[in-house]
Amino acid sequence: GVSLKLLSCGVWIMVEEKSKEAAKPGTVRDGKPKKKKGVEVKVKKTPKPKTIKPGTVRYGKRKKVGEKQKIFIEKPIGGEKNGGTRMVRVKKLPAYYATQLNPKRRTKHTKNRFRPLRSSITPGTVCILVAGPHRGKRVVFLKQLARGLCLITGPFKINACPLRRVNQIYLIATATKIDISGCDIPKHINDEYFRRVKVKRAKKEEGDIFEQKKEKYVPSEQRKKDQAVVDKLIVSAIKKREDKKMLFGYLGSVFTLRNKMYPHRLSF
Amino acid sequence: MKVEKKKVTKPIRLYAKAVFTGYKRGQRAQHEKTALLKVDGAKNKDDGRYYIGKRCAYVYKCKKKTPCSYGGKSKLRVIWGKVTRIHGNSGVVRAKFARSLPPRAMGRRVRVMMYPSRI
Repeated sequence: GVSLKLLSCGVWIMVEEKSKEAAKPGTVRDGKPKKKKGVEVKVKKTPKPKTIKPGTVRYGKRKKVGEKQKIFIEKPIGGEKNGGTRMVRVKKLPAYYATQLNPKRRTKHTKNRFRPLRSSITPGTVCILVAGPHRGKRVVFLKQLARGLCLITGPFKINACPLRRVNQIYLIATATKIDISGCDIPKHINDEYFRRVKVKRAKKEEGDIFEQKKEKYVPSEQRKKDQAVVDKLIVSAIKKREDKKMLFGYLGSVFTLRNKMYPHRLSF
Repeated sequence: MKVEKKKVTKPIRLYAKAVFTGYKRGQRAQHEKTALLKVDGAKNKDDGRYYIGKRCAYVYKCKKKTPCSYGGKSKLRVIWGKVTRIHGNSGVVRAKFARSLPPRAMGRRVRVMMYPSRI
């Protein structure tokens, strides 16, 4: 028989009452057929309902009864007349209590920085660099790289502007367009190619950490090779034109504003 | 460009000349956050529209030498800003600077760059 028992914590539990009659050997409680006569059959006992101790957590992390978590620990401190020890928290209280749990994070839109090119800038367009160390120079736009920056070249032989990445906001496209459709720019010239190589400093440096080690930039052999290859292609494309002499002179010259030259009135 | 060359490179100007005429103001109260720039040669709204978004710089000289971006020290200092919108019908333009322009800059040269370029 089953009876209900009320615990002190107010929880009702079911308790199996032990029958007054002792189980006869051979009789099985569970209803399974007995195997042999006279042989003691192992009686499968129904599990005893465990009485729930008030305060225990069921189906959760159970702390061993009796083990108390230390909140404060005594730690020795220095200094005289300080009492020698302090009660220090084992786990520090959080320094910050968020007013809103799991606040909605604003999405960053900087992942895809690719910006479509202006319609005036097409491969082979002669552009004027308006900022940077090569400002004023007239350069040839080659292509737009994966990250959105523009690949340009002087060509180096003509105006000392190397293969370079430039944002299109620093380019003014002119109407002059060179036909570089036949030019196959090497495919390894991409964003990775132009990535700045960070010189890893040894952790223990000789001398002052703040010593500025400004090493002058020296173009690598790879760069020089690629520059020669690309320039050859561009120069050959220019040579096919009728106005090649004018164009070489044009690319070699520098753009500057003069008196009565107003940018808003200029057409490039 | 600090490269020493045998050739003497002529100075090139890649900015439009403008004058700082004053702050944005009503008749009796002025708001120093926004500066009014009169760009050389800009006579109407369409002219002014070219310069919207362009970077502008107020360059001035000081007694003490301070570090430059390209290394070294110089007596020149800059306050950078941006042209925000046109002002009125005659090509005057409004600009906001990183720090408000000092009042002594009134009547003095402000450079309006040709970048960010939209052509």
